[in-house]
Amino acid sequence: MKIYETFSEEETKKIGFLLAEQSKAGEIYCLNGDLGVGKTIFTKGFAKGLGIKEEDVTSPTFTIVNEYEGKLPFYHFDVYRIGSLEEMEYTGYEEYFFGKGVCMIEWAEIIKELLPKEVFYITIQKDYTKSECYRKIVIEGEKA
Amino acid sequence: MKILAIDTTGQTASAALLENDVIVAEYSIHYKMTHSQTILPMIDEISHKIELDLSTVDYIACSCGPGSFTGLRIGAATAKGLALGGNIDVVAVPTLDALAYNVFDTDAIICPIMDARRQQVYTAFYQWRENELNRLTQYSALAIEEVIQQAKSYQNKVIFLGDGVVVHKELLLRENNFCFAPIHSNLQRAASVAAFAVKLIEKGKVIKGSELELIYLRKPQAEREREQKLKEAEKC
Repeated sequence: MKIYETFSEEETKKIGFLLAEQSKAGEIYCLNGDLGVGKTIFTKGFAKGLGIKEEDVTSPTFTIVNEYEGKLPFYHFDVYRIGSLEEMEYTGYEEYFFGKGVCMIEWAEIIKELLPKEVFYITIQKDYTKSECYRKIVIEGEKA
Repeated sequence: MKILAIDTTGQTASAALLENDVIVAEYSIHYKMTHSQTILPMIDEISHKIELDLSTVDYIACSCGPGSFTGLRIGAATAKGLALGGNIDVVAVPTLDALAYNVFDTDAIICPIMDARRQQVYTAFYQWRENELNRLTQYSALAIEEVIQQAKSYQNKVIFLGDGVVVHKELLLRENNFCFAPIHSNLQRAASVAAFAVKLIEKGKVIKGSELELIYLRKPQAEREREQKLKEAEKC
């Protein structure tokens, strides 16, 4: 397990950037955190680490999955609106999860039965006792 | 008679061409899961290597499930497309039948198990009798423990195969009466799909591409809910 503490959006992006730089095809990252905690910021940094323009990265809340072409294909999921595992199957998720790219999944617990055993978990938390901009980023999984 | 067979029901993507009792080409890849991008180029590669004019193919044999939902859809779409474009008839080959057909003429029970995730496998039990492969049970999605229970109820040795073996080997190894198919016949192969299709063609089980239906086993939630509603309506 690795724990990072950041004090600005830029620092949060940097953690994502560095993580993505060492990522490999087939890896799945599950991203957890409350609304407004900076999941999108983190993901923009991650995308940049894969050589994708961060301004191209938009929320997949309504599309379920957005695909980007970087050094590796990058699949950004938000499965919040997925109502059942069957519905997830209609997205053709297997070709993403077991394909040639890297997956970042928000709200992954909704589809946890479909996740392979080896996934990474990223949790972003606020702590107002430290500062308004403080974020604790915990990365768990074999790489941590 | 030429049969072009495909299987994309699991992690393996496989295509084969059978011509008059000979597998002229077989191409299988068990790597990642990008069948939507690989199966057509694989068929294309085969066509080039053996100078096959696809319009001379008599039947498309499609492994029709159960299996990976995405994989099934890709296989069916490919088969339907080729059938429609070339006006070729289709043979729907149940995946578990083709898999069991990897194992030939034995007194043992044959039990293909395909990893269905969510702690389940797709399975059925088979036995050879008088040169015919007989299916003894329904195609089902079962927990591995249920499969083991059922397998133990047979007096005969049970041969397991399929990608479920890789996942559940430890549990299966505990039973003395269980054994495994060799590596080269453990997974889906389009050659087996083609060979089994020959049997089905002899029995007249030939359809149009538009009639090809898949065996999902697990019904989509919407369908389950509808059935539930219909059941309840019947009671009233």
